Amino acid sequence: MAGSKCVRLSGELAKQLLASVDSVLFDCDGVIWRGDQAIPGAPRVIELLKEHGKKVFFVTNNSTKTRKMYVDKMSTLGFNASEDEVFGTAYCSAIYLKTVCKLQGKVYLIGSNAMKQELEAVGIQQTGLGPDHIFGKQTDWANVPLEPDVKAVLVGFDEHFSYMKLNRALQYLTRMDCLFVGTNRDTRLPLEGGTAVPGTGCLLQAVETAAQRQAATVGKPSRFMFDCVASKFHVEPGRCLMVGDRLDTDIMLGSNCGLKTLLTLTGVSTVAEAEANQKSGCSERQGMVPDYYVESIADLLPALQG
Amino acid sequence: MAATYGFKACRKIRGAQIRGLLEAKEFFLFDCDGVLWHGEKAVAGAAQVVNSLMRQGKNVVFVTNNSTRPRDKYVHKFYRLGFTAVALEHIFSSSYCSALYLRDVAKLRGQVFVVGCDGLRDELREAGIPCVEEADEPDATIYDCALAADVKAVLVGHDDKLTFLKLAKASCYLKDPNCLFLATDNDPWHPLSSGRILPGSGSLMAALEVASGRKATVIGKPNRYMFECISSQFPGMDPAQCLMVGDRLETDMLFGSNCGLDTMLTLTGVSQMEEAHQYENSEEYQSLVPDYVVDTIADLLSAFE
Repeated sequence: MAGSKCVRLSGELAKQLLASVDSVLFDCDGVIWRGDQAIPGAPRVIELLKEHGKKVFFVTNNSTKTRKMYVDKMSTLGFNASEDEVFGTAYCSAIYLKTVCKLQGKVYLIGSNAMKQELEAVGIQQTGLGPDHIFGKQTDWANVPLEPDVKAVLVGFDEHFSYMKLNRALQYLTRMDCLFVGTNRDTRLPLEGGTAVPGTGCLLQAVETAAQRQAATVGKPSRFMFDCVASKFHVEPGRCLMVGDRLDTDIMLGSNCGLKTLLTLTGVSTVAEAEANQKSGCSERQGMVPDYYVESIADLLPALQG
Repeated sequence: MAATYGFKACRKIRGAQIRGLLEAKEFFLFDCDGVLWHGEKAVAGAAQVVNSLMRQGKNVVFVTNNSTRPRDKYVHKFYRLGFTAVALEHIFSSSYCSALYLRDVAKLRGQVFVVGCDGLRDELREAGIPCVEEADEPDATIYDCALAADVKAVLVGHDDKLTFLKLAKASCYLKDPNCLFLATDNDPWHPLSSGRILPGSGSLMAALEVASGRKATVIGKPNRYMFECISSQFPGMDPAQCLMVGDRLETDMLFGSNCGLDTMLTLTGVSQMEEAHQYENSEEYQSLVPDYVVDTIADLLSAFE
C-alpha cells in the first residue's frame, strides 16, 4: 500500500486524521490507563471524540473483567462508557464459543470469575474455576474424572493456574472432538499496582505444548475482536482508527482489518521497534508498523479542542 | 552397520545380525521408561538382557530424562524390577546431569530457584548446589511474595506442585540476564503405563520461555550434555562403540544421532514404526530415524543363546 507510515501525529495532520474516521477503537492498558491511573487527558479525549460524533469502543485482551467490571473501572477513573462499547476477551470468548463454535456442552475453564460470568450470560456452563491442587499419585492424575459434557477447553488468565489444571486440560484435549480456545497470547499481564506478571500467553503455551495442539485465539491480533465490534455496530474499516500501545496486538489487528492505526508511547512498544519493523523485509513485520504515533493520546486534544 | 552418509537404515534386525551388533559394541546406553519397564512393571526379558550384557563385561548405562527421582531411588527401582547389577554410577538422569552442569559447567556461585520436584532438589543438594527453599504462605500472592537474594539460576523440570506464583517468581528472577535459565528436559508429555499421558517438563519450560522471552538451556536428551557426563565418567568411550537404545524418536534417536552413536528403537514405548517411516520420508528429520529396530529389547536375548 502506498503512503507513508510511522509518522508523528500533530497539528493539521491530526485534524485530518480525525476527520477521516467515524469510529475509534482504543486498547486500554497502556493507552487510556496504566494500572489504576488514567493517562492524563485521556478521559477528555474520549469525551471530545464522542462530542464530535465519533463512535468509541474499547478493545482489550485482558480477560479478568466482565464488560460491567470494565465500565465500573472506567467510571472510577473518569471515563464515561457503557457496556455496549466494551469488548474484553472474557466477553468475546463467550461470544466466539456461542456463535462461531456453536458450542453444545460445557467448557473446562482455566480462567477467571469474569470469564465464568460472561459464559453464563450466553448460557454456557463451565467447570474448573478456582484453585485446583495436586493430590494422590501420577496414576490418579491421568485418571481424573472427566465430565462427559465438556466439549471445549478455554484458557484465559488464571492466578490459580497449577499443574493439576494443566493436567485436566490435557486430558480433555486428548479427545479430538474437544475444542480448544484461548483468550489471547499476551506474554505479560499488567497489574493494578503498575507491575506485571506472566500473561495468558504463558499458560496457553503450556497447555498447547502438553496437548501438542494449537488453540484458536480470540484476542488481538486475531480479527475476531474487530468482527465483534463491526457486527454489532456499523463500522467501516476504512473509516476506523485503532489506537494501541502494542505493535504485535493492537497495530497488527488494525493492519489485519484494514483500519488506520495509531501507536501511543505510554505503554509497551517504542518508535524504534516500529521503525525496525518498517525496515525489515518481512511482510508479517510490516503489519506491525503504525500509520501514526503520538507520545500519549492526550496529544490529540489540540485537534479536538481547536 | 553404522550410517556413513546420514542415511539411517531403520530396519528390524534379528538373529545373527543382533549377535553381530552386540559383539561389535562396547557401550550400551538404555533409556528406561518404555524400554526397560512401564511404570512398576518390567518389560519381559529386559532384566535378563541387561544382566547378560553386564556379565559379558559390556559397559551399560541408563540415560533418562525423568527428573522426578534421585538416583538412589532409581537403584532401588532397578533392583525391585530384577536389574540386580545396576549401581549408582550406571545411572544418568536429567536431574543428576543438571546438578553436574550447575556445578562443573556453570560453576554456580549463588542459589538456584527450582521449579521442580523434591527428587530434583535432592540431586542438587547432593552436588552441593544451594536451592531456594520454597515456603510460601498459603495465601501469598504475586503482590507480596518474597524474592530470594543471590539467585543465579532458574531450573525447570517436572513439577506437579506448579503454581502461578512459582511461574511469576521464576520470571522475576529471569529478568536478570546473568541468571541462568535451565530445563531438565523438554518432553511435552510423558506416557503412563495405562496409555494415558501427563504434562511434561517441556510444557512448563514453554510457559517460562514465553514469560521471560528467553530460551532455556535444555540438559536432557536430545541435547548432548548427558553424553558428555557419561563420557567424562568412562574415559576412552568411543562413540563408534556405542549403541543408544530408546523408545522415543524425538529424544532417544535424536540424542544418539547428535552424539554420533548408532541407534536402536524398541517398539514397546512411545514411538511406532509409522512415525519412523514418516521421518524417513522427510528431508529434515533424518537424524530422528533409527539405525535398527526391535519389537522389544527382549529380542536381544537371542544373542546370548
